[in-house]
Amino acid sequence: MIMETVIFWILSPLAVAAALAVVFFKRVVNGVMSLLAFMLTLAGLYVLMGAQLVAFFQVIVYVGAVLVLFAFVIMLLNLKDAPVQPFTSPAEVKAAIPAVLFAVGIAAFTWVALREGAFVKTAAQQPAPGIRQIALDLFTRHLLVFELTSVILFVAAVAAIVISRKEKDPS
Amino acid sequence: MTLYHFVGLGMVLFTIGAAGFFIRNNAVVLLLCIEIMLNAVNLIFASFARYLYGTEGQIFIFMIMTIAAAEAAVGLGIIIALYRSHKTLDMSLIKDLKG
Repeated sequence: MIMETVIFWILSPLAVAAALAVVFFKRVVNGVMSLLAFMLTLAGLYVLMGAQLVAFFQVIVYVGAVLVLFAFVIMLLNLKDAPVQPFTSPAEVKAAIPAVLFAVGIAAFTWVALREGAFVKTAAQQPAPGIRQIALDLFTRHLLVFELTSVILFVAAVAAIVISRKEKDPS
Repeated sequence: MTLYHFVGLGMVLFTIGAAGFFIRNNAVVLLLCIEIMLNAVNLIFASFARYLYGTEGQIFIFMIMTIAAAEAAVGLGIIIALYRSHKTLDMSLIKDLKG
């Protein structure tokens, strides 16, 4: 239990720092590398929560596929010539105020909604569901989710090809 | 560790992502901020799955991860098309839809 607390308080500041680094790094490559650190920290938090399967998928899907795609596009576009815009002018910081207020509103609502629950103030009593249980649920009761994800991936693959194709390409 | 810790961390991360989405004006960084927000929501789902002893939260995470991967593929395709037509990724310079 003590170990869990220590790991949480090590990993969560790292996650927050990495997320802030994504926002505040000027160069996009540094942002992508910070997002890599963010994803790995979150994978550690998933393991802490007993969701090992999600941690595996986090590393494989996000770090192995999505971030590589980002890095690939950045290398493809060669953004070196683009002028670096300062992002701390008052107008742009003012633009973020509604987002922060909205998130604070959601947090307040969550706090009020969870206040009565008995499960929020105690540590988890039962072990987390194992991979076997998740697989059984995914392929029986929640099969629609599985089918839906395959359709989404198919549509996204077609859409990505259509969008990024050159217009004059006759094929 | 209680549920509040994990939900609070997810809220903080979501706020950082949402604020970054409005602060930055580079199109790639906007997509990175969207990824931060999706991951914050994933964290909250996982924590509820942990403290309510169910599998539904984790199953929903797979759905969100799929959507995030699809969003990254389509979004980066849009960015490539945008860079081809405008020669910039600065969102404050791309205002064709602004009335």
